Amino acid sequence: MVTTTLIILAVFAAAFVAFAVWDVVRAKKKREKYRVGSTVTAYLMLLPAILLAFLFILLPILYSLGYAFTDFFILTPNDINFVGFDNFATAFKEIGDKGMLYHAIINTLIFVVGVVPLQIGLALGLAVFVNRKKRGVKIFKVCFFAPVVISLSVTSFLWLEILSPASTGLLNSFLGMFGIPPHDWLRDPNTAMLCIIILSAWQGCGYQMLIFLSGLTNIRNELYEAASLDGAGAWSKFVHVTLPGLRSTLVFVIITVFIGACRVMVQPMIMVGYQEHVVTLSYYMYQQGYEFRWVGYSSAIALLMTLVIGTITLIQRRILREK
Amino acid sequence: MKKQNVIPVEYTLLRRKRVKGDKIAKDVVYYVCGIILSLLFLFPLVYMLATSTKSESAYVADAGSLAMFLPDFANLGTMFNNYGKVFTDYGIWRYALNSFLYAAIVIVLNVLINGLAGYVMAKLRFPGKKLLSFMIIFLIVVPVETSIIPLYSIVKTMLGLKGVMSVAGVVLPAAISIFNIFLFIQFFEGIPKEYEEAARIDGASTMGIFFKIILPLSKPIIATVAVFCFIGVWNDYLWPTMILPYPGEGEWPLYPIQSALNTIQSIRGITTGEVMASLVVTSIPIFVIYVAAQKYIVQGFGSAGLKM
Repeated sequence: MVTTTLIILAVFAAAFVAFAVWDVVRAKKKREKYRVGSTVTAYLMLLPAILLAFLFILLPILYSLGYAFTDFFILTPNDINFVGFDNFATAFKEIGDKGMLYHAIINTLIFVVGVVPLQIGLALGLAVFVNRKKRGVKIFKVCFFAPVVISLSVTSFLWLEILSPASTGLLNSFLGMFGIPPHDWLRDPNTAMLCIIILSAWQGCGYQMLIFLSGLTNIRNELYEAASLDGAGAWSKFVHVTLPGLRSTLVFVIITVFIGACRVMVQPMIMVGYQEHVVTLSYYMYQQGYEFRWVGYSSAIALLMTLVIGTITLIQRRILREK
Repeated sequence: MKKQNVIPVEYTLLRRKRVKGDKIAKDVVYYVCGIILSLLFLFPLVYMLATSTKSESAYVADAGSLAMFLPDFANLGTMFNNYGKVFTDYGIWRYALNSFLYAAIVIVLNVLINGLAGYVMAKLRFPGKKLLSFMIIFLIVVPVETSIIPLYSIVKTMLGLKGVMSVAGVVLPAAISIFNIFLFIQFFEGIPKEYEEAARIDGASTMGIFFKIILPLSKPIIATVAVFCFIGVWNDYLWPTMILPYPGEGEWPLYPIQSALNTIQSIRGITTGEVMASLVVTSIPIFVIYVAAQKYIVQGFGSAGLKM
């Protein structure tokens, strides 16, 4: 593994030097000069950043591409064999057999389809709601933003208590007032993902609300006044003035929330564990690579995920921008 | 049809009266909606705070009534017992100290390393610069999170970070941030050349200029980067849990506070109140940061839009 890394490093260094030399040659043609002293200082100052970026950003990306075609098992790091597309075949077989990966895909789809509209709709609604000059609006803003401050793990542990299966849990005791018997929300395959969707939207939407708010302040007031003069109601103002004015903000928010939703894993991991009814793609990938130590297979899943997410993001950008 | 712009006088007067009444009604509806929405967003947090003050018996007794959202008024004297237990028996302060320490190291390294890189990219002329700026853009666009398993295998098998050394595995990957380099470049490009030229005439070295002229001028961007580093390190759960050894008996644990929530949660006989107290303790520093550094956080949000 160390040798591979050194080879990659050498290739990169060579390519880099070639580029640098080319720069020098071109500068000479234009009768400009690079000073040796300042070039050396520049690279010395860049060295820590380049080293860390190479080691912790570039190398993992390259390795995840490479590992996907090997049988790398982390306990035998010196025995890595090239296996071609075997990992992908295993993955597709797992999907065909309705194994864990199949459930992971279904659950991730459910989560994305549920949380993206819910979170963005909430955020947009709240942003429009607090975007007016009234007394106390700032307090509302702080209230809506408060859950964002809490980390994902704290959120998960907190909702674990709220959704507790005991009759003393918040939700169960609330429903108990209406005579509804206690329910194990997170073990029930029908409600678990729904709960995770709701608490994720609750935790996250305040952040997108702020982004929408900054977008709303860029819409000129005259547009609303003109719409009022034309007799537009609140709804048609929202559709014909607010939404078009928020176009670029909306594109940004949809894509970031979508990518974030595709990566969901901490909530099911803390609240339920590696179970068929809540496992997600990222969680599956993590479990295979970290707990089961099959880095090769896990990297293949990661590669598939990156490809799918990347393609969908590109398509989203096309559709949303072209209009 | 042509639009009618002239409205009869009587009609407007009549209308104005109605409009005023409408306005008050609308305000009432607005504030009622606002309060209901706020409660919907706050109730889990209020529940967390209220439960953290209760003993297990009070928690059970309050279930199913509004008292779930109120502190235990009958036993105000023992309100902070859970917190006391979380601090002394479960030693959450040690994990909190770890988190503060890791955050401090990450902030210093992050500002120095990315600041230096940003300065070089913004101000110096050297061969190979174009390739580097291309790579910065490329790495900002490419999604990196899916490479967490290869990153783990690099840190574990190649660097062999075990025991106390595994802290380096937490701190070093967090010390580099392409996006922060990008932020620094943008900020430094706005600093006029004259400052540097004057210093150069006085015989200052490039390093000297960076530390004595550029950094003191860059307090706003440093604050923004520092605040986001702190939030990132403090709230990170998955990576430290993966990389650090599980806390053993009798030795100083290496887990930061978020990872420790898992260990605390699984202590035998822990009460709901104590769990909630540990969650509150974990959240307080972040709340403080958000309140104290509001200005820089809003600036950071503004630049988040640049990511696309």
